[in-house]
Amino acid sequence: MTNVFTLLRITDRLSLQFGSDAVGRFFLCLVTIMWVLVGIYAQKYKEHQKHNARFFTFYILTWVMLAALTMAANYLTMYLCFEFMTLLSMPLVLHNGTPESIAAAKKYLFYSIFGATLGLLGMFFTNAYGTTLAFTAGGVMDPAKIAGKENVILWVAFLSVVGFGAKAGMFPLHAWLPTAHPVAPAPASAVLSGCITKAGVLCITRLIYQIYGTSLLRGTWVQTALIILALITVFMGSMMAYGEDLMKKRFAFSTVSQVSYVLLGVFTMNEAALLGALLHAAYHSIIKDGLFLCAGTVIFWTHKEYVSQMKGLGRRMPVTFGCLAIFSLGLVGIPPFAGFLSKWYLASGSLSEGLPVLNWLAPAVLLLSALLTAGYLFPICIHGFFPAEGEPEAEGKEGSGLMLGPILILAAATVLLGIFASPLKDALQAAAQSLL
Amino acid sequence: MNGISILIVIMLPIVGGVLLPLLDFDARRAREYYVLAIVIATSVFALSLISGSEGTELILYHLTSTIDIAFRIDRFGGIFALLVSILWPLSTLYAFEYMRHYHKRNRFFGFFTMSFGITLGVAFSANLITMYLFYELLTLSTLPLITHDGSREAKVAGVKYLVYSIAGATAAFIGMIAVLTHGGSLEFNVIGLGSAVTEANRAFFDGAFLFMFFGFGVKAALFPLHGWLPTAGVAPTPVTALLHAVAVVKSGVFAVGRVVYYTYDADYLAGSIVQKLALWFAAFTIVYGTVMAWKELHFKKRLAYSTVSNLSYILFAFLLATPSGLTAGLLHMMFHGLMKIALFFVAGAVMHQSGRTYVTELRGFAKAMPVSFGVFTVASLALVGVPPLCGFLSKYAIASAAVEEGSRSAYAGLAALLISAVFTALYLLTIVVRAYFPGENYDGHNLKDVTEANAYMTVPLVTLAVLIVVLGCFPGALTEFISGALSTAFPGL
Repeated sequence: MTNVFTLLRITDRLSLQFGSDAVGRFFLCLVTIMWVLVGIYAQKYKEHQKHNARFFTFYILTWVMLAALTMAANYLTMYLCFEFMTLLSMPLVLHNGTPESIAAAKKYLFYSIFGATLGLLGMFFTNAYGTTLAFTAGGVMDPAKIAGKENVILWVAFLSVVGFGAKAGMFPLHAWLPTAHPVAPAPASAVLSGCITKAGVLCITRLIYQIYGTSLLRGTWVQTALIILALITVFMGSMMAYGEDLMKKRFAFSTVSQVSYVLLGVFTMNEAALLGALLHAAYHSIIKDGLFLCAGTVIFWTHKEYVSQMKGLGRRMPVTFGCLAIFSLGLVGIPPFAGFLSKWYLASGSLSEGLPVLNWLAPAVLLLSALLTAGYLFPICIHGFFPAEGEPEAEGKEGSGLMLGPILILAAATVLLGIFASPLKDALQAAAQSLL
Repeated sequence: MNGISILIVIMLPIVGGVLLPLLDFDARRAREYYVLAIVIATSVFALSLISGSEGTELILYHLTSTIDIAFRIDRFGGIFALLVSILWPLSTLYAFEYMRHYHKRNRFFGFFTMSFGITLGVAFSANLITMYLFYELLTLSTLPLITHDGSREAKVAGVKYLVYSIAGATAAFIGMIAVLTHGGSLEFNVIGLGSAVTEANRAFFDGAFLFMFFGFGVKAALFPLHGWLPTAGVAPTPVTALLHAVAVVKSGVFAVGRVVYYTYDADYLAGSIVQKLALWFAAFTIVYGTVMAWKELHFKKRLAYSTVSNLSYILFAFLLATPSGLTAGLLHMMFHGLMKIALFFVAGAVMHQSGRTYVTELRGFAKAMPVSFGVFTVASLALVGVPPLCGFLSKYAIASAAVEEGSRSAYAGLAALLISAVFTALYLLTIVVRAYFPGENYDGHNLKDVTEANAYMTVPLVTLAVLIVVLGCFPGALTEFISGALSTAFPGL
C-alpha cells in the first residue's frame, strides 16, 4: 500500500486507514466507470420509478462506500466499508417498496451481515495471531504465534473467506443474490450484480493474499475446500440460470456462476489464475452491467420480464438485442470477445497448479458451465430476432439515447477489450504479481 | 478527601428521595427542580470522587470481628459509578416528561432518586457484605417503581422480581458466608483466597463460587434465572431503561465481577471446571437472549431480551479471568449502558407519543419522529457492532480477549457472540427498515397525531447518540480509565 492516509486512530491497534495499491486501483477504476455509465442510463430509467431523490442518494452513497472499500488499507477499514456498503445498498434493493422487494432486502441484509460477521472472526484472530491488521503482501500471520494453532487459523481463514463470499454469491451463502438482484430497479440490479459482488471478491483477495498469506493456505484443505465450493457455485449457478424464465433472475443466477469463476482464480493462487480472475472480474462487470441494462430497456418500453415473452422483440429493438448478442457471446467466451481470454487464463492456471483431481476438474467444470451459459443466453437473442412462424407481431420500440449510449459503450468495450486486450492484461498482470 | 464524603454522596439522594413524598410537591416545576438539583449534585459529587479521591476509605462500623460495613473508592467500582452518574441525570430529565400522565409522581421520583444513592452504594462498597446490603436495598427500592401503575400485571411482575431477586441474593449470601467461614476474605482490597484454599477444601470453594455466580446471576439475567427481566418491562420506561438496562442488572454483573476478580482471583479460576461451567452458561444465555429478542414483537420486551443477551457478554468477558477479559467486560458494561438506554428511550418515546407498543406498528414512523429514529438507528448499528460506533469496540475487545484466552469454552463464547451479532441485526434493523421504508401503498394513516417528542426526551436521546459516536471514535481516555482497574485486580501486573 502506498500513500497511506490515516483518517482516525481509534486505539493503537485499530485505525481507519486508506491507501492505494494495484488491485485496489483496478477495482476502483472498474466500479467508478460502471457507476458513471449506469448512472447515465438511470437518468432515463428513472421515469419508470418513484422516489428518485432517495434512489440517487443511496446510489451515490453506495458508490462512495464501494470506492472507500477498494482503498481500505487495513482489515478494520475494509470491514467498516463492507458493512456500510451493505446498509447503504439495501435501500436500492427495496426501492420498489413491494412486499416482495422488502422481503428480498431483508434477506440481503441477513446474508450480508452474517457473512460480514464471519469475516469479522478473521479480524479477531488476525489481531491476536498476526503482526498487524494492515494489508501486507505475503500476509501478516506471525509464524511464531500460530505454531501449534495452525488448525484453528485454517478454520478461521476458511470461515472468514466463506463469510465475505456471501457478497460474491458463493455457495453456501449465495441464496440472497437471485432474490435481491432482480427485484431492484434495473440500474441498481446492474451495479449490484456487476460491481458490488466484486467487493466480495476484493475482500477475499485481500484476506488470502494480504492477511493469511498464500504460504499458509496453499496446498491445505482450505484451498481444496474453497476451490470445490467455487466449482459447485459455478455449476449450480449456470444450471439455475438455465432453468429460469424471468430474465433478470436468469442474469442474477448467471452472476452467481460467473463471480465464482473469479473466485476460482483467486483460490488457485498462481499468477495465471489470478490474472484470469482479475480479467474476468473486469469482463464480467462490463458484460453483466450490459445485460441488466438491456433487460431494463426491454422492461422500460414493453413491461416484458420473461425470456419467453421476447419473441420477435429483436426486430423492434435491434440495437438493444444486437448488444445483447454481443454480451452473450462475450460471457460464453467465444473469441475474440472479452470473456475468452479470462477463461483461458483461469483454465491454464488451474491446470498448472497441479492439485490432484481439481487440476483437470476445474477446467472441465468451466467448459461445462460455458456450454450452459450459451444455453441460457443465446435463446434470448434467438427468440428476439427469429420468432417462430405465426407468432403475433411484437410491440416495442428502441430506447432513447441516454439508455442506448451506455449499452453501446459497454458492448464496444466487450469487443475491444477482447481484441486489444494487451494493455489491460499487462496492467492486471502487474497487479497479480504484486499480490504474489 | 475525607471518607465521610462517600457517605454523603450515597446518602444525599437517599435522604432526598425519602423526603420527596413528605414535601409533597403539588407543582410539577417545583418537584422537577428539586429532583434535578439532587441528582445533578450527586452526579457531580460522585464524578469528582472517582476522578480525584481513589483509595478513600470509610469504615462505618464493625458488624463482627471479620465483617465491616465499609466503603472504598477503587477504579473497578468507579467505572460503575461513572456509568450511572452519566445516565441518571439524563434519565431523570426523560422521566419528567414520560411520567407526566402518571399519578403519584412524588412517590415515583422519591424511589427513583433513592435508587441512585443505593446504586452508588453498590459501586463504592469496600467488601462483599456491604455490597450485598446495598444490593438487597436496591431490590426493595426499585420494587415500587415496577409496580408503579398499580395494575394487576405490574403487581405480578413486582412479585416475580422480588422472588427472583431475594432468592438469588440469598444464594449469593450462602456463598459469601461459606467463603468467610473457610478463611477467605470478602474485602475487595484483598485479592483472592490466598492460603485459605487447600487441596481438601477446593471443592468447597468451587461450590461457594457457583452459589455466588448463580445468585448474583439472577440480577444479571443469566439463563435460566432471567425470567423476571422481560416481565418487569411493564414498569414505566424510565425504570426499564435506567434500572433494567443499567443500574439493577449491571449491579448483578458488577457483583459477579467482584467475586471473580476480588474474592476469588484469576489464578484460582483460570482453567477450572467452575469457570468452564460458568462460561458455557454465559455463552448459552447470549444466544438464548438474542433469539428470544428476535422472536419477541413487543418493543420493550424485545429490548429486554436483548439486555439478557448483552449482560452475558459482560459476564462472559469477566469469567475469562484475564486482564483483557476484565477490561473488555468493563468496556461493554459502559457501552451497553449507553446503547441500551438510548434504545429504551426511543421505545418509550414511541409509547409516549403514539401509544404503540409493538414493533410491527411502526411502519413509516421515522417520518413522524425523525430525531428519535435517527438516534435509534445509530444505537442499533452500535449494538450490532458496526465500526466506528462504540459497540464495535467493546465487542471487539471481548472477542479478542476470548481469542487470546484460547480455550474451548472461550471459543464457544466467541461463536455465541457472532451468532448474536447477526440476530441483533435482525431484531433491530428490521425496526429501522420498517420505520424508514414503509413500502408501497402506504398513506401514513398510522401517523395521524404522532409528533416528535419534546426536548425533555430528545435532549437525552441526542446526547446519548453523540456519546455513542464520540466514544466509538475516540475511546482513548475511557479505555485508559478502565485499564486503571487492572492494577487493583492484578497486583502483579
